Amino acid sequence: MGLGRYLLRKFLWYLGALLVALLLNFFLPRLIPGNPVDALVGRLSQGGAGSDQLQAMHTQYVKEFGLDKPMWQQFFIYLGNLAKGDLGTSFMQYPASVNKLVGDALPFSVALQLPAILFGWLIGNLLGAIAAFKGGWFDKGAFVGSLFLSSMPYYCLAILLLFGLAVWYPMFPQGRAYSLGLTPEFSFTFLNDAISYWWLPFLSLVLIFIGGQAVGMRSMAIYELGSDYVNYGRGLGMKDSQMVRYIFRNAMLPQITGLALSIGGLVGGALITELVFNYPGMGSLLFGAISSNDYPVIQAITLIITVTVLMANFAVEVLYGFIDPRIKATQGGDKS
Amino acid sequence: MSRLLEATNLNAAYLTPEGREVKAVDDVSLYIDEGEILGCAGESGCGKSTLGNVLALTARPPLYPISGRITIDGQTISLDRENKVPRTWRGEVVSMLPQGALNSLSPTARIRNLVGDVMKAHDAKMGKDEALDRARDRMKELGLPPRALDAYPHELSGGMKQRVITVISTLLNPKLLIADEPTSALDVSSQRALVEMLREMLNQGIMKGVIFVTHDLPLLKSISDRIAVMYAGQIVEVASAETIADNARHPYSTALLNAVLAPEPDTLVKRVEGIRGAPPSLAKPPSGCRFHPRCGLVMDICSAKQPAPVGTDLEFACCHWTAQHPDQVIRVEDVLARNDEVEE
Repeated sequence: MGLGRYLLRKFLWYLGALLVALLLNFFLPRLIPGNPVDALVGRLSQGGAGSDQLQAMHTQYVKEFGLDKPMWQQFFIYLGNLAKGDLGTSFMQYPASVNKLVGDALPFSVALQLPAILFGWLIGNLLGAIAAFKGGWFDKGAFVGSLFLSSMPYYCLAILLLFGLAVWYPMFPQGRAYSLGLTPEFSFTFLNDAISYWWLPFLSLVLIFIGGQAVGMRSMAIYELGSDYVNYGRGLGMKDSQMVRYIFRNAMLPQITGLALSIGGLVGGALITELVFNYPGMGSLLFGAISSNDYPVIQAITLIITVTVLMANFAVEVLYGFIDPRIKATQGGDKS
Repeated sequence: MSRLLEATNLNAAYLTPEGREVKAVDDVSLYIDEGEILGCAGESGCGKSTLGNVLALTARPPLYPISGRITIDGQTISLDRENKVPRTWRGEVVSMLPQGALNSLSPTARIRNLVGDVMKAHDAKMGKDEALDRARDRMKELGLPPRALDAYPHELSGGMKQRVITVISTLLNPKLLIADEPTSALDVSSQRALVEMLREMLNQGIMKGVIFVTHDLPLLKSISDRIAVMYAGQIVEVASAETIADNARHPYSTALLNAVLAPEPDTLVKRVEGIRGAPPSLAKPPSGCRFHPRCGLVMDICSAKQPAPVGTDLEFACCHWTAQHPDQVIRVEDVLARNDEVEE
């Protein structure tokens, strides 16, 4: 079996997984008890509209959203729109299109998480590797610190940071992503303003990520340090710097999977972090949508998450073939 | 023949987590002449591999060398706890040959990368191609396929991996090769191929001497010129392979070699009696001769005084009984006579 056929087979598998996920994404939100139109109209009724008007509005909305049609028909309409790249219209923020809502929220989530994941991964792995090599007090300190950070819930650290650096010693603003009165745009004023809001949620994510990566890398590196090939390399008079390269390459393998999967999952937003900091990313959007049965928004976000996670997994499988010869052999069907 | 290795008064200990020292190599002196293969035998936990590590200069925590001098081919090094050994000694003067079934090769590096790195570590000017050419020539000389150099470790069979490791271990023409159980994971034909290769390399002068540590006594008898028998961190007897097999001068050697089955007609019905008990804990070795609690020839002096070696540097035994009975043969039945008293 050649590499091409291997990739094709994997690709078909992932396509199948995507189809199943599409079905679940569509039907699961609709199984949540409660009707979104009831909620929407109920909100309007507080405005003091009469009951006939409300009734008419209710019918109008149900028709508009296509909720009067059978579920399977709705599904195919959804698929048709999806093929055109149209994610639908939000119920709760009618008539805003889901494309626009996602387009507004996604940059915030990515800007928050991508640097957190990349920096956290890099620093965490370096810290873990150095701790493993150095041993002694540096190792003890780094290990205990990392373990503490990695086992701390996100929201705890978020709230502590918020209290410490925004309330008690107000270095950073509390919550939100930019000052009231500004609109998101690519201008110096806006970016300069937004970055001061960005620090706290970024810190709360990156610290925890550093901790998790460092703990993992440290134990991998310690394991590799004690392995036979290190002993043999020393016995052959190899330099430490040469041994480090061997150790690093082997210890990195599981860490690369972790990185790819984190990047895959980042579009889902850091739900709790975004809620704590009132940050307008994908997490906040999803949370709002779930609590108001906003099917199109839920669907859209879960779909995006599904696609990116699947893509990241696929990328890892392909990438692994290039960095781990043992896996390449299995992929290519050689002797393993 | 000139002397290749003089290792005198070697001491090495493991440091336990509680901070105690457990001496696993206790005042060991060892000599090898050029062109010799010295076998090293003993039960598990007798310090064979530890001695190998100390001689190969690869001791690492929790194992610490304490004292001793090693002279190889005229170059001398003193051991101490600091364990500061010139890096280039390893691989050039003394080299180790580990068991290949262990992960002695990094799974993500091709053999040729390791070859290049090993050469470069000893000669910074050497280019990758030059290093590879040398390895390729060496492979050809020994009748191995040079394309094995392009493989990853998992692509080689166990026997091939072991032979490739042997080539890498001897790339720099080390004076002395310490082979620690290199055959233990191999089938019999691969074992034979490896042993023949080692002999061939010795004849070609790639290395000048080999110390061969193994549990496999029949193999040891066939490969070794002399055999050193270790018990509880000490060498109790060194003698030529034939002497050890037929007329050992230490009761432990006699009993140990008796545990080997020779394929003879009565083998099927023969009951092999081993030495009861286990080697003593090295944390608290017995007084006097360390074998005395298990020995059938034990005398009063055995528990009181450590026996001095009797013989020459190259052939000696440390036993009070043989010192007093220089012309008598040790009988296995006598050595095992106390088996009933010794607790399992």
